[in-house]
Formats: sequence, C-alpha cells, structure tokens
Amino acid sequence: MSTLEDLKDESGEEVETMTAAEVLRKLEEAWLNEKFAEDLLEAKTDLVECMMEQISEMEDNISRAKKGDFKVSIHRLEIDRIRYVLSSYLRSRLLKIEKFATHLLEEEKVRKDDEPSKLSPEEFTFAKDYDKSLESHLRNLALRHMPAHIQSLDPKQIAVRPNLDKYVFLRVNEDTEGVLVEEETLDTGEEIVDMKRGDQHIMRYRPVAPLVASGAVSLI
Amino acid sequence: MTMKASENYFDIDDILASNERIPCRVELPIYRLGYLDSSHESEHLLPGTKIEFPYWLGRAVCSRRRHIVRVDLPKQYREGYREILSADATVVDLHKLGPYYYSFGTKLLHFEHVASADIAKSMVKTFQTRFRKIMDSSQNAYNEDTSKLTEKLDEAERSLFRSGQFGLHDFQRWETRKTEKLTTSNMVRNHQKRKRNVMDSNVD
Amino acid sequence: MLAEKALELVRELERSIDGSLPPYNEDRVRQVLEEMRVLYEQNQKDVSATVAGESGLFSGVQVRHAALERNKRCLLAYLYNRIEQIKKMRWEFGSVLPTEVKYNLCEQEMQWFGRYNKLLANYMMSIGGSGGLDLTQDMKPPKTLYVEVRCLANHGEFETQDGNVIVLKKNSQHFLLRSECEHLIRQGILEHIVH
Repeated sequence: MSTLEDLKDESGEEVETMTAAEVLRKLEEAWLNEKFAEDLLEAKTDLVECMMEQISEMEDNISRAKKGDFKVSIHRLEIDRIRYVLSSYLRSRLLKIEKFATHLLEEEKVRKDDEPSKLSPEEFTFAKDYDKSLESHLRNLALRHMPAHIQSLDPKQIAVRPNLDKYVFLRVNEDTEGVLVEEETLDTGEEIVDMKRGDQHIMRYRPVAPLVASGAVSLI
Repeated sequence: MTMKASENYFDIDDILASNERIPCRVELPIYRLGYLDSSHESEHLLPGTKIEFPYWLGRAVCSRRRHIVRVDLPKQYREGYREILSADATVVDLHKLGPYYYSFGTKLLHFEHVASADIAKSMVKTFQTRFRKIMDSSQNAYNEDTSKLTEKLDEAERSLFRSGQFGLHDFQRWETRKTEKLTTSNMVRNHQKRKRNVMDSNVD
Repeated sequence: MLAEKALELVRELERSIDGSLPPYNEDRVRQVLEEMRVLYEQNQKDVSATVAGESGLFSGVQVRHAALERNKRCLLAYLYNRIEQIKKMRWEFGSVLPTEVKYNLCEQEMQWFGRYNKLLANYMMSIGGSGGLDLTQDMKPPKTLYVEVRCLANHGEFETQDGNVIVLKKNSQHFLLRSECEHLIRQGILEHIVH
C-alpha cells in the first residue's frame, strides 16, 4: 500500500523533505539569475545533482506506488515542475556556454587555483569540444584555403564576450551600502547607492555583478 | 543599450554598419589600385583624388599613425543635419540617413574629428527624443501592419521596436492563457508552410 | 570595391532572417577565396619590389591587407552564422533533419550537425551523474500532467509510459502525459488542444 505518508517515509525524514524544498528554492533563484545575467554565473553543480537525485527518488517511489493512486499524479506534476526548472536553468547556461565558449576557455586558462570555475566539469568538456569543432569547421571550409599569413584565429579578436553594460532589474536581499554604480567621468561625478533589503532597482549589470554572485541581490 | 555598437567579430549588423561610406581624400599615392575609383580610369590613386571608402577601409588607412587618406564627415553627421535633428528629431527619416545611423556614427568617433564630441551629443539627444515615441508606438500597435511605423527608424531603433512588440505580444498571450499551449517549433512550422506552398504551386 | 563578394555572402543571411537557411553558396565562397589569393600575390610582388629598392608601395600593401582581413571576417561570419542556424535546427527539428532542409547544407555542415548532435547528447547524458537529462524537452512550464492532443498526421503506434499502445491516426484525439508527447507536438505531429 502506498500513501502520501509512505512516499514521504521512503524518501527519508521530515527534515530532508524540508531540505529538498530549500534546495529547490535556491535552484529557482539561481535559474532566474542565470536567465537575466549577461554573463555565465558560477555553476551550481551541487544543487543540480541534489535535485536530480530527488527526481529519481520520487520516480522510484511512484513506480512502487499503487496504480491509480491520486497522490501519484501530484508527485508526477511536481517532478515535471522540477525538471522544467532544472532544464531551463541548464539551457540558459548552455546558450551562453556556446556563445562565449572561446572567451570562457580563455578565462579558464588564466584562472587561479583558489578561484572557483564558472563551468561544471561536464560543461567544461562540452565547451572545449564545442569550441574545437567550431574552429575546425571554420578551418576546413575557409581558413586553410586562405593565404598562409592570414590563416590564424586570434581568440582575442574573435571571442564573443558578454556585454556587461546592459541594464538589469534587481531586488535587494541584504542591505548593502556604498555601491559605486557610475565611475566619475568628465561630465558627471561618481554615483553611489545605498541598497536596502526589499528595494528594486534598474541599473547597469557590471557594478552589481559581484552582488549577484554573493546573493546580496537577485535579478528579476 | 541597443545603441552600443556590438564589437562582435561575427555580428552581421556590425559588418553591414562598417560598410557605410566615408568621403576620403587621398594623401599618399596608392599605386595600381586606381580601379577602386570607378569615376576615373587611371592606374593609380594619386594625392588629391576624392573617393568614398567603406568605413572598414578608411579605418585601416587613416589613423593617428597612418595618413594614407584624410577622411571627412559623411554629410548626415555634419552640422547642417545635426541642426535639423536638434530642431525636431522625431520627424526625421533616420533610416534614409542610416540605416545604421547610431552604430556607424559611433564608429566615426574613432577618427577623432574636431566635431566628434558634438556628434556624440547629437546622437544621444536624438535617441532620447525619439525613444519615447518608439516605445509608445511599439506598445500600442497590436494586430496591425507595423511597417509604416518602422520605416523611418534606424536599425537599432527597429530592434528596440521589435522587443517592445515581443513584450506586448507575450503579455497578451499570457492574459489570454495562450502561453500554456505547447506549440510546434518555429522552424518546423515555417518548413511545413514552405512545403505546402511548393505543393500548392505545383498543382497550379 | 574590394571585398564586395564577401559582403554579398553576409547579406544573403541577413535577408533570410526568418529562420530558413539559404543554400550554401559554394561558388561565391570560392570567388572570395580567389580574390584573397590575388590580393595576396599582388602584395607579395610589392613587398619584393620594396626589398629591391622601390619606394612608395606601402599604401597599396596596406589597402590590400585591410581587404584581406575584411574578406576573412565576412567569410567566417557567413560560416559562423550558418552554424548558429544549424544549431537551432537541432533544437527545433530534432536529431534528424527533413530532406529539403538538409539539401541547403554543404557536406561539412552536415558533418558538423552530426558532431553537434553527439556533443549535445554526451553532455545531456552526463548531467547529474546518473542517467542525465534531456534538455530539448520541458521547454515550457508545466500546468497540467496530462494534455489533450489531436493528431495532425498519421504517425502509427505509440507506446505510452504506462505500457499501453495507442495508434496515432490523423485527426484522432488523445489524452497523454505531457512529458511523453512534447517532442511530437514540437515536431508538428500532434497539436495541443487548450480549451
């Protein structure tokens, strides 16, 4: 016999169910940030793996549940919803990884050991293979037929880079004082903003990028 | 911002914008390239020759270090036109002056012409003045032919107009609960349409 | 003007922004490469002459060099933006392209499509450690578990997740798990009915 209680019992303690909800909330936040940020944010590999495990656990439970059990449908819909957030999150990242592959790999090359990588190991493999396949395509059809001195591809010249000066909408999660949003120029002075929890702003992405990474603000 | 010229190497719009013409005056002889000047039939381009070069070429032969040609401002960025724009920018057919008015104009700033600062100011002002009207029309045109509304817009403005329209359509679809409908992907739909057209025309 | 042919290639793509890919223009690509070869040879000649003592040839070399770079940029942009479209096809048509679409791709582009297909499959399989995740599915937020669909074409037998076999016949209507029929909807075989 399988009831909602059973499903829950099999997936673990009450505490763990709570944690799963918390993980999902974090994943949803990462998803929105990723959707609205111009550049690729740090990979939330742990959240992804955790939610993937959660899905397969729920699927196991469902397959053991009695046919026609009404609660099964609710769990299935919940799985569909989690899977949607997960795939949409990973799709946003994949789009950027393809677009900025050359740039990201250049960054990866100069990354220091104590800095975290933006790419998960799987994404890194994909970016490398993708970049290579694109280059060899350009080489086969065009570059190798060109005069020798012009055959090279300079990553600095061709790499597509995120435009960090785009404007974004954001919501403040933690009070943050003294955010320098505009540098001083010849015409205008510098502009500094104090952000209060709950405030919403529209501003250039560049000055707030570190705050998105730290979680002090969320993109909306 | 849409006005910011994309420096993306593969960007189609940037390639087209960098093909816009600049009036140049040859300063140093350019041997055996007389054929670039279709109005003359000489073998060489000699000093004093007036010729229009696409931006990408002008940039390569006129810089701080190189003075093979001297470049002049295209007329649509000169004072006369700037005055017209400052009088009432909203009525000007910028597409005719453009079609990459802002992005080409931004590129021209590289030449550090004496009027550069004025050109930059004029473009910002022009955009600000026209912005309100563009957003307004893009948010209010629904289910109608928009080609009349966009024909006088430069390419960057057109893409702004389009994003306004996307937003509007998405909102309407959401209001009428159409967003939840799963649909055939665009490419598949266009492909089927084309295939049907081919079949129809074969029947005729 | 120099590099005109190369610009024409770029314009071909600009004109077809609605998502249909024009046939790969092998002839024009060859013409661009030929123009580059000629420019290069003329520059070689001028450089040798300069070494031999002739002066004033630098301007011409500079102009031709700029034209070489411009040709290169346009040609690479042509290939690159076609690849962007081809990638989109993988997401919209699936891993098998309709014949008429394939027809507009050159041999190397078909090969690239295959490579991309494989890259993507490998990546999707590696997500999360066990079993992976099909990212070409779940394109919209789910509202209901089941959806009502109508067949737009005869598709034959279809086994549902719970093991039943149904026949997807043109104009027949079914109630299916959304997750199992999303691909068929995107490929235009089923139509989602919303009341």
